[in-house]
Amino acid sequence: MKIKSHVMSAFLAGALATTAFSSVYAAEDTIKVGILHSLSGTMAISETTLKDAMLMLIEDQNKKGGLLGKKLEAVVVDPASDWPLFAEKARELISVDKVSAVFGCWTSSSRKSVLPVFEELNSLLFYPVQYEGEESSRNIFYTGAAPNQQAIPAVDYLMNTEGVERFVLEGTDYVYPRTTNKILEAYLIAKGIPKEDILINYTPFGFSDWQTEVAKIKEFGSAGKKTAVVSTINGDANVPFYKELGNKGIKATDIPVVAFSVGEEELAGLDTKPLVGHLAAWNYFQSVDAPANAEFIKEWHAFTKNDKRVTNDPMEAAYIGFKAWVSAVEAAGTTDTDAVLDTIIGTTVPNLSGGYATVMPNHHITKPVLIGEIQADGQFEIVQQTPAVVGDEWSDYLPDSKDLISDWRKPMSCGNFNVATGKCGGKGS
Amino acid sequence: MITQMLFSRHEKKTVWAVFLILLAAALVPLANLLIPEGSAFHVPGYLVPLLGKYLCYALLALALDLVWGYCGILSLGHGAFFALGGYAMGMYLMRQIGDRGVYANPLLPDFMVFLNWQELPWYWYGFNHFAFAALMVVLVPGLLAFVFGWFAFRSRVTGVYLSIITQAMTYALLLAFFRNEMGFGGNNGLTDFKEILGFNVQAGGTRAALFAATAIALALALVLSSAIVRSKYGKVLVGVRDAESRTRFLGYRVENMKLFIFTVSAMMAGVAGALYVPQVGIINPGEFAPANSIEVVIWTAVGGRGTLIGPIIGAILVNFGKSIFTAAFPEFWLFALGALFVATTLFLPKGVVGTVQQFIARRKEQKKADAVEQAYQDKAAAKAESQLATLEPQAAE
Amino acid sequence: MRGVKPTEQEELMYRAIQTFLVALCLLVSCLATGLRAQEDIRPLVDALGATSFPQKIEAVKALAASGNPKVADILQNLTDGKLYAPKTGGAVYLEGAADGAYLDALTGAPANEVPGNLAKIRLNNGLRGAIGAALSQLTLLSPDRAARLTASQDLLKDANPDNLALLNSALAQEKDAEVKATMEAARAVILLKTDASAEDKKAAIDMIAARGNRDALTILTAAMDNAPDDLKPAIEKNIASIKTSLAAWDVAQNIWYGLSLGSVLLLAAIGLAITFGVMGIINMAHGEMVMLGAYTTYVVQQTVASVAPGMTDYSLAFAVPAAFLFTGLVGVGIERSVIRWLYGRPLETLLATWGISLILQQAIRTIFGPTNRQVDNPSWMSGAFEVGGLAITYNRMWIIVFSLGVFVALLLLLKRSKFGLQMRAVTQNRRMASSMGIRTPWVDALTFGLGSGIAGMAGVALSQIDNVSPNLGQNYIIDSFMVVVFGGVGNLWGTLVGALTLGIANKFLEPYAGAVLGKILILIFIILFIQRRPRGLFALKGRAVEQ
Repeated sequence: MKIKSHVMSAFLAGALATTAFSSVYAAEDTIKVGILHSLSGTMAISETTLKDAMLMLIEDQNKKGGLLGKKLEAVVVDPASDWPLFAEKARELISVDKVSAVFGCWTSSSRKSVLPVFEELNSLLFYPVQYEGEESSRNIFYTGAAPNQQAIPAVDYLMNTEGVERFVLEGTDYVYPRTTNKILEAYLIAKGIPKEDILINYTPFGFSDWQTEVAKIKEFGSAGKKTAVVSTINGDANVPFYKELGNKGIKATDIPVVAFSVGEEELAGLDTKPLVGHLAAWNYFQSVDAPANAEFIKEWHAFTKNDKRVTNDPMEAAYIGFKAWVSAVEAAGTTDTDAVLDTIIGTTVPNLSGGYATVMPNHHITKPVLIGEIQADGQFEIVQQTPAVVGDEWSDYLPDSKDLISDWRKPMSCGNFNVATGKCGGKGS
Repeated sequence: MITQMLFSRHEKKTVWAVFLILLAAALVPLANLLIPEGSAFHVPGYLVPLLGKYLCYALLALALDLVWGYCGILSLGHGAFFALGGYAMGMYLMRQIGDRGVYANPLLPDFMVFLNWQELPWYWYGFNHFAFAALMVVLVPGLLAFVFGWFAFRSRVTGVYLSIITQAMTYALLLAFFRNEMGFGGNNGLTDFKEILGFNVQAGGTRAALFAATAIALALALVLSSAIVRSKYGKVLVGVRDAESRTRFLGYRVENMKLFIFTVSAMMAGVAGALYVPQVGIINPGEFAPANSIEVVIWTAVGGRGTLIGPIIGAILVNFGKSIFTAAFPEFWLFALGALFVATTLFLPKGVVGTVQQFIARRKEQKKADAVEQAYQDKAAAKAESQLATLEPQAAE
Repeated sequence: MRGVKPTEQEELMYRAIQTFLVALCLLVSCLATGLRAQEDIRPLVDALGATSFPQKIEAVKALAASGNPKVADILQNLTDGKLYAPKTGGAVYLEGAADGAYLDALTGAPANEVPGNLAKIRLNNGLRGAIGAALSQLTLLSPDRAARLTASQDLLKDANPDNLALLNSALAQEKDAEVKATMEAARAVILLKTDASAEDKKAAIDMIAARGNRDALTILTAAMDNAPDDLKPAIEKNIASIKTSLAAWDVAQNIWYGLSLGSVLLLAAIGLAITFGVMGIINMAHGEMVMLGAYTTYVVQQTVASVAPGMTDYSLAFAVPAAFLFTGLVGVGIERSVIRWLYGRPLETLLATWGISLILQQAIRTIFGPTNRQVDNPSWMSGAFEVGGLAITYNRMWIIVFSLGVFVALLLLLKRSKFGLQMRAVTQNRRMASSMGIRTPWVDALTFGLGSGIAGMAGVALSQIDNVSPNLGQNYIIDSFMVVVFGGVGNLWGTLVGALTLGIANKFLEPYAGAVLGKILILIFIILFIQRRPRGLFALKGRAVEQ
């Protein structure tokens, strides 16, 4: 992967040199922005917050005078946690409402469902959630974490700081945990962890009876080696999982659990006192000590008129995506998709943890990795923070994707370039 | 001559409906492709697959109505047959991608590549041929329905028990298709299709053709359903619906009759699913969700069960409403939808079509009654007049 | 003590001397130090403000080794997050009473010059473990039994050979049987790690093996690695025997898990057994009644917490009747406004109640927001206890008790009360009942209210183990229908047996087939079972069946 990192670092150097360009049009009309998040159905629990965050960001931008002299106008639709409906609504947003960009989707299924629509109609989607990687589309920007920006640093932390030698990879049975666990398994084996010290287990969506699974974890953890759980358990299933852990008396000092899908929002439904010390890996926590974050939280509380509302990582990702788009549109002087695609690569905007996020040629962004421990008040104490890491869309730990890179700058303009054969289109071996 | 036969053998309404659907099959693609944008008659590109989707749902609702409206089998698992047909088509479309996937693996779909599958599972073989896939679209749902029905109807599982086990069936399939080990792409399902029969699925022409195909399929299904319903067999089916035991005592093999209609209905649902997938561009286990199957029941009920046009109108009406409301009132559309269902049951127990029919029937009856009344009165008046006339001379006397 | 095994007397004497020496050390350190010694550990305390976790861990170890009496307090303050240090590292301060006021970490006196960039000293799991180990050394001789027990348990977990002397001295004066047993186990574990004599190690192995639980298995498995060859067979034998007994306990444990899952299913389904089973309404809003019950619990808990904070542990006692009444009233409202028009058209009730469920879900989403609400477990429902090899969590146990209680109460109500009689009369023969002077509409409304109210009570219980979110009900509705149909519509006993059977079967399948496949197998089993017995486990017999 040498070529890749070389390309990226060369790029980073020039990235800060983005020029701000704004021209004032005396136009009455508005720039429309689509918001495609489920407001009903199973995913409403996570996605509604992001819709609110987007509305706040748009309102804020309008207060600052809008974009290119026009006001931004949010177009909110409800795809109702129904994946084909996502595609239908995306098409409607682009074709009927003529939005300039869409911010939305949560699950990979919804993203996969809308991907062909965005490519066909040549529009922009900013996707704000951590995902399994293995994708790079010309029309999508992935502002959440790729596995190397979340999972691998978390496992490194467990091995180096907690001295963990045995791993339970516990996940909900869907593509994100499957892929992440495949990557982690390959990574752990490469690090010299024997295969019998890795237990992989899957449960269905919305699983609520964790007695047997937790007992299994406890049993696996009683082999005399320090054991940890790497959890890719999704959404609803987390609360009963942590309740069972707490009641079974599994403390973080015995078997720590590091989760990739548990943030402030999920903890808001839980009494976290028995969970102190369990971990989560994200690129942002509400407890981040930075002026930008303090400002953001203040605005969020004011916008939602509720000073108990928490912020979380996907909100930061949405924030970065929106700021990057705004800055790219300003640089291009137009909201035209092709022009924005040209200017957005290399755009650098401040993130909320006191650093900067740069949009890379692979349409992923740079992010620091933060490891946090759950505190009694439902917040995270940050115990480790890495410098910014470049999102790796094609994992180096999967045999078929390790030779692939993506670079959407001309002349390459390819989402799956094979460095071994030097051809675009994933042509390997 | 065939048209004549159609006219003679079917209700007038059905013929009109078939005619309208076929008209749509011709006009919508033409209005989309030939009439220039900006014209009032232009059908915008985004609308074509959307309308196609409604028609697929209409076909599914019609299939459900055959078993529920005409045979009294409330299936809460018809979504499963729909999804199976969809998966069969999805597998064909997946194989059509060939080496244009992101990993350029000529044999394996992308989701198998990054999960380290080494070879194509046996049940994926053959799906690179359209004919095979098309066969599977009807065979797989049909076979499942046949086996399921064979056991269920022979043991005389009826009423809510049957409804609940059909729900269990679709729920079990939902869980099974969510599993990545099954080799159907887990919860992401099958997506990112490129070509169908060599045509780009995203091209306007293909879309229009798919819409036309769906409309024609719906029209054919309507003709078939009508033929079934109006045959002697169809009359007995209604007998099964209204008094199963009596029908059995009359000597009919009720379980065989149920099995036949259930299997035919499942095949129709499979075809609906197969047409649905290329138009929406994704098939995933969410289609197996029990809630989806319940929704189909609701479309049918809203339109009017036990009529052939009802389910078609119901499916189009509810889904059209859904499309409008999810965009217009994203936060509150569920209230409207919920209220619609409650209101339909309370005020339109026979569904839209049933109620209209009833209304028309009443009007007709009223007219008849009025006519009779009028005639009677006329007669009476005439009589009185004549009586008067006969009396008059006397009075004159 | 090496090589030759001392006689008992010698051992005792040795212990006595050791205790004396330890006591003497402590005494001397206390007496001879005073203020000066306090200042001696100041650099050690300030080292807690280091920037890296390994440095902090070293500091904690050094503090513990200093033997200073203030150390326990300081470490406790550290655990409670009361200690502050500059972000760049440096002197450590104690949080004062007022905001922004700091005290000297060592003396507790107000601090004079405080640097501006103070931040709370961060803990991580490694540091927490080190503090626990250090505190356990310091509290092992504490007069408080609970403190000694925790300390000895920590020592057992930590098993640091450095603590052997301390442990020996503590053992000599320990009177409490449980604490003593834990200490002895800790000592045995430590002995296995040292180069003690073969006999001592043998005794230690037997000692650990006698505990017979999973922890013992862990210790023995770990001991295998560096055990001398002649001991290995003994360890292996013990491991094997523990495994056999654990396997037996596993069966019992699975039955317990199954009962617990079954009781949850029973709770979720029993209200449906009334509205669907008895009244014949395909009540798709049943899950939402459960959800409303859970949200009532949340509201009651919030109210209790703000009105009478001392009573929060008992808020569930208020929540149960509140949930029953509230959801019961909602149920009566639904029956009077919608369902009463639909009697005799069961399939249409499906449609209407599905609509109602959508409205209720969205209403809750609008009022409370789409995210989870936090419902705390009261202290008497937290934690677990062990019976032999069974680990039993309190919340599951109380839910089993609660669901059986609800079941028995409902059975009594139906079979023994006048209302129950009327209800059965109305559902069996409406016109006859009406002729006998029963106000059937009133009975219908109350019956539906009863079913809904019971669903609400189920919501109270489910709020203790599951999410309190607008989707809560959706997760249980299908399972509830399966249970009622499997058990036999219209029969409460069927619901009970059905729920428990499905629960136990599920839990026995889960370890072999995995959670997903297990559930699929259960569904297939239900489908096949209904083929065999088309009217469920306990079928109603007679004419009424054919409507």
